[in-house]
Amino acid sequence: MTTIIDVRHLKKAFQQSNALADVTFSIQKGEIFGFLGPSGSGKTTTIKILTAQLHKDAGEAFVFDMPVSAMQDSKNREKFGILTDNSGLYSRLSIEENLALYCKLYNVPNTAIKEALEFVNLYGERKKKVSMLSKGMTQRVLLARAILHKPDLLFLDEPTSALDPVNTAHIYKGLRALNELGTTIFLTTHDMQEADTLCHRVAFLNKGTIQAIGTPKQLKEQYSEQTITVELKDGSSQVIKNDAQNAQSLHDWMANNQISRIFSNEPTLGDIFMKITGSDLQ
Amino acid sequence: MMNISIARIQAIFMKDYKEFSRNYAISVMVFIPIIMAFLYRDMEFDAAQKMLFPLAITFGMVTAFVQAALIAEEKERNTLRSLLLSPASLADILIGKSALVSTISVIIIALCCYAVNYTPSATMIIAIILSIVFYAALGTICGLFAKSTMETTFTVLPVVIIFPFGPFISMFAERFSVLKIAKWLPSSQLADLAQGDSLVPMIGIVLWTIAAWVAAIILCKKRMVD
Ligand SMILES: Nc1ncnc2c1ncn2[C@@H]1O[C@H](COP(=O)(O)OP(=O)(O)OP(=O)(O)O)[C@@H](O)[C@H]1O
Ligand SMILES: [Mg+2]
Repeated sequence: MTTIIDVRHLKKAFQQSNALADVTFSIQKGEIFGFLGPSGSGKTTTIKILTAQLHKDAGEAFVFDMPVSAMQDSKNREKFGILTDNSGLYSRLSIEENLALYCKLYNVPNTAIKEALEFVNLYGERKKKVSMLSKGMTQRVLLARAILHKPDLLFLDEPTSALDPVNTAHIYKGLRALNELGTTIFLTTHDMQEADTLCHRVAFLNKGTIQAIGTPKQLKEQYSEQTITVELKDGSSQVIKNDAQNAQSLHDWMANNQISRIFSNEPTLGDIFMKITGSDLQ
Repeated sequence: MMNISIARIQAIFMKDYKEFSRNYAISVMVFIPIIMAFLYRDMEFDAAQKMLFPLAITFGMVTAFVQAALIAEEKERNTLRSLLLSPASLADILIGKSALVSTISVIIIALCCYAVNYTPSATMIIAIILSIVFYAALGTICGLFAKSTMETTFTVLPVVIIFPFGPFISMFAERFSVLKIAKWLPSSQLADLAQGDSLVPMIGIVLWTIAAWVAAIILCKKRMVD
């Protein structure tokens, strides 16, 4: 396996806040990696450091096996695509004209425009001026621009925060297809459903450190309280631990034909997020 | 490291041209020096004298101010950051972004020369082109400093009044001796050159141009990181 991003003991402090206290993680080629954390936890800061938009204070960060400072080199910037909240479009130009500029900058043929706009479901509106676009449409144009050159690595900072469910689903499909062609995706989000359906692995960032990391399945198992809920025909429901001690009661209910429904209480990523980060909201 | 791509420079130039032609608040600026030149047309001084004012206005209001406004807008809308994150090199971006105002300035000055019936010498043409390159750098610096497009109006204004109007400021040097430094401004050097003196003023303009671009490049590199 090839490591695409390798971050060790990354630290970054601003005047008023300690954005990243000690962050360590790595991303392998072909992964869709979800970076989850509450607002202000340092997600965007991490992306900025990885794309050489911000200097780190301490620690090591490698992208494509090169120290992040190499990303200042224009040649290396061909390898990644990026969408963050500080990405901008030319408002007096049409969607198509904006993308045409970036085709030239990335040295890809203009046919990439059609493909990218179909990816974000905007091809029919390509002649529209950017100043006329809604927030969600702007976000989709930025996404189209980020994938225009089919980069090896894609940084997406909350790519679907302004989108409706239909477009979101369409974009998930596109991202999966892109990923299958070999693009590694680093994605930040608040949307736990998104992380669960899209990401191979997720990391929970809180207070400048990674609190948990793994596949959604692993994390759910790790944070599971191992309980099952049994709904009985009399309308009551029982939450019991999934262990030998409770085997008898389960057996009895079943023998007496009392059970209407039974399910295991797996936490959602959202539950885990709350558990990890919720404590300091109090 | 400073790899230059003509295709990228051209793409940035074309983009700027489209934006500029749709941005009426800024593009009307091009008419001011031309109107000025036509007003001077029938005055009594010699052609070189008549040219001084339209030239100063072009450098200040078009080359420096328009450049500052374009750069400030790119900064404000985050398009500059996006460009800096693309494979375009700093050289591609700075050359591409200066190409439009430079071209426009050349056209305006040519029209002004025609209007006042002035035929510049070869040395004068070189000096004018160098001056344009200098004012483009000055505009870039102002644009990078400004926090918003609105703010450029204020940051650029002093620069636009001081730098291109060296010969006019020098007129007051007899009364206020501090103003003697005005004769070292690139515009004063250009005026000297127009009077016939050529080596020293040319060196002066070259030095100003180099210094301004070094400053612009350093500032732009700083803008690459937060
Ligand atoms: N340029 C900056 N100057 C000072 N402080 C900053 C700067 N950028 C970020 N911060 C601080 O660093 C912390 C982390 O910010 P960051 O933008 O990385 O959070 P985030 O996880 O992306 O949040 P969100 O989900 O709201 O986008 C915050 O406390 C923020 O105030
Ligand atoms: Mg953020």
